[in-house]
Amino acid sequence: MNQNPEIARELPVDRRPNPTPKKKKWLDGEGRWGILLVSPYLLHFLVFVAFTSLASLYFSFTQYDMLNPPKWTGLSNYQKMLDDPLFWKALRNTIYFTVLLVPIKTALALVLAVALNQKLKGLKLYRIAHFIPVISSWTVIAYVADSIFNPRFGWANGLLMKLGLEPKNWLADEQLVIPVLVAVAVWKGVGYMMVLFLAGLQNVPGDLYEAAEIDGAGPLQKFWRVTVPLISGTTFLVLILSTISSFQNFEQIYVMTGGTVDVSSAGGPNNASLVLMLLLYREGFTFFHMGYASAIAWVLFLILFVFTFIQMRLQKKWVHYD
Amino acid sequence: MFIPFLTALFNSLKTVAQYNKYPPELFPDPIKWSNYPEVWELAHFNTYTLNSLTVSLLSILGAILSSSMVAYAFARLRFPFRDTLFLIVLGTMMIPGVVTIIPQFIIFKNLGMLDTLMPLWVLEWLGQPFGIFLMRQAFLGIPREYEEAAKIDGCNPFQIYWRVALPMCKPSLATLAIFTFMAKWNEILAPVIYITSQEKYTLPVGILSLKGQWTGGNDQYLVAGALISLIPILIVFLIAEKYFVEGARSSGLK
Repeated sequence: MNQNPEIARELPVDRRPNPTPKKKKWLDGEGRWGILLVSPYLLHFLVFVAFTSLASLYFSFTQYDMLNPPKWTGLSNYQKMLDDPLFWKALRNTIYFTVLLVPIKTALALVLAVALNQKLKGLKLYRIAHFIPVISSWTVIAYVADSIFNPRFGWANGLLMKLGLEPKNWLADEQLVIPVLVAVAVWKGVGYMMVLFLAGLQNVPGDLYEAAEIDGAGPLQKFWRVTVPLISGTTFLVLILSTISSFQNFEQIYVMTGGTVDVSSAGGPNNASLVLMLLLYREGFTFFHMGYASAIAWVLFLILFVFTFIQMRLQKKWVHYD
Repeated sequence: MFIPFLTALFNSLKTVAQYNKYPPELFPDPIKWSNYPEVWELAHFNTYTLNSLTVSLLSILGAILSSSMVAYAFARLRFPFRDTLFLIVLGTMMIPGVVTIIPQFIIFKNLGMLDTLMPLWVLEWLGQPFGIFLMRQAFLGIPREYEEAAKIDGCNPFQIYWRVALPMCKPSLATLAIFTFMAKWNEILAPVIYITSQEKYTLPVGILSLKGQWTGGNDQYLVAGALISLIPILIVFLIAEKYFVEGARSSGLK
């Protein structure tokens, strides 16, 4: 469309090996400016991403307390992990939290997004209300959740007692702590996910609904037969993204299970809500077992990488860019 | 969605006696507005707020300047390894940073930045993947003709970026600024790792630290304090709601 030579240079054809010496091309004015403008990120990447990743891999094969230089111990940290009941507990808790959180949050976000996609009055207020937990810090959320789940004066127990049921200890109950954390995480995160679904719903052509209506489909059928299949790409993306972030949950559990009172109490009661990020933090920044903490980080990274890889492979096929 | 906030708001207006009443009462009676000024006085709220503002503002400034500059190079200039490097930006945006936490802590320790606010904002000055991605999209979306004209007038690439391209991307800059604000104002992990002295705490961490120090009888203050910390971000959100939504959308569809 545009015959401007500047744009023509961007075409793949012009990326073929250049007859002029490469070095000369590299050092032309534009190339120098490019390198100069991109240099902050270059520094960021080289020092704070590439170097640190390699350092962390190296630490994971050492004993390192930050006072003495790292001492190479081979696979001992990974060996220790296999024998560490707390690691397995943290892994189990992390998976339990994720398996509970992700499907519930996704389903709820989809339903809310479909409801919100109708052109009704007062929607802006509705959307704002759903987004307020998203913009709140976990500190705010923790106190808001406390007004409900506090065993002494929370509304959850007030309700249970009105119904003639036994009051619960909620976050102090080994069985209940993760379900309660999940309930709060759903409430905080559903608005964010809803926005992603709303973006996906914009791409569903309206005439498909009209066609379905002509064929006699009701609202429920339209949802299952038109909406759900057509936004499967968004759904998939949202599932992967929230799985990745759920595996890295630190702030919520740290804040809501008493980490600020006493770091080692975070993840309680009796480590019933100890997740991998919390174990990493505890080993690294409380006990200064930097080697062991790095090994945990790498295992967590490899788990997350599998999800990221699946997403990257399938993203091209599924996701539509504007 | 909103109701739990109301119960917390009511709790923040109760007297000590009513707060600890069992079974609980919903509405505060009498309404004790003075919990808010009192918690501000009792805790170091001035300090926490100042720290949070410092971190947020320096982060926003850094993100806007560095990410947009890097993004402009990716969008408009040809340089060696450009495409490889941009793939790295996309990669680091998707691949979680969990493995970098410990070595980054050691780097900041060696730079003597532990227990300062620096680690909470300096990296924003070196370009962040999300900001680079967002701003690159914005630069790619503006017509080249303006930049061509500036080039003919003898501007160098930095001048074109600064004087011509950047002012045309204000909506994306606003999205980036607001998203950075939200992330930094609410951040807990980094302050928890890097800050040890109370007078360096940011708001979310400062308020939480009070929980450990004030045992019993002061919980209504803590709720009030937490809600105070929500006010600035709530105001920004109500004014610029569409940028929040835009930011959420582009962070999801990266």
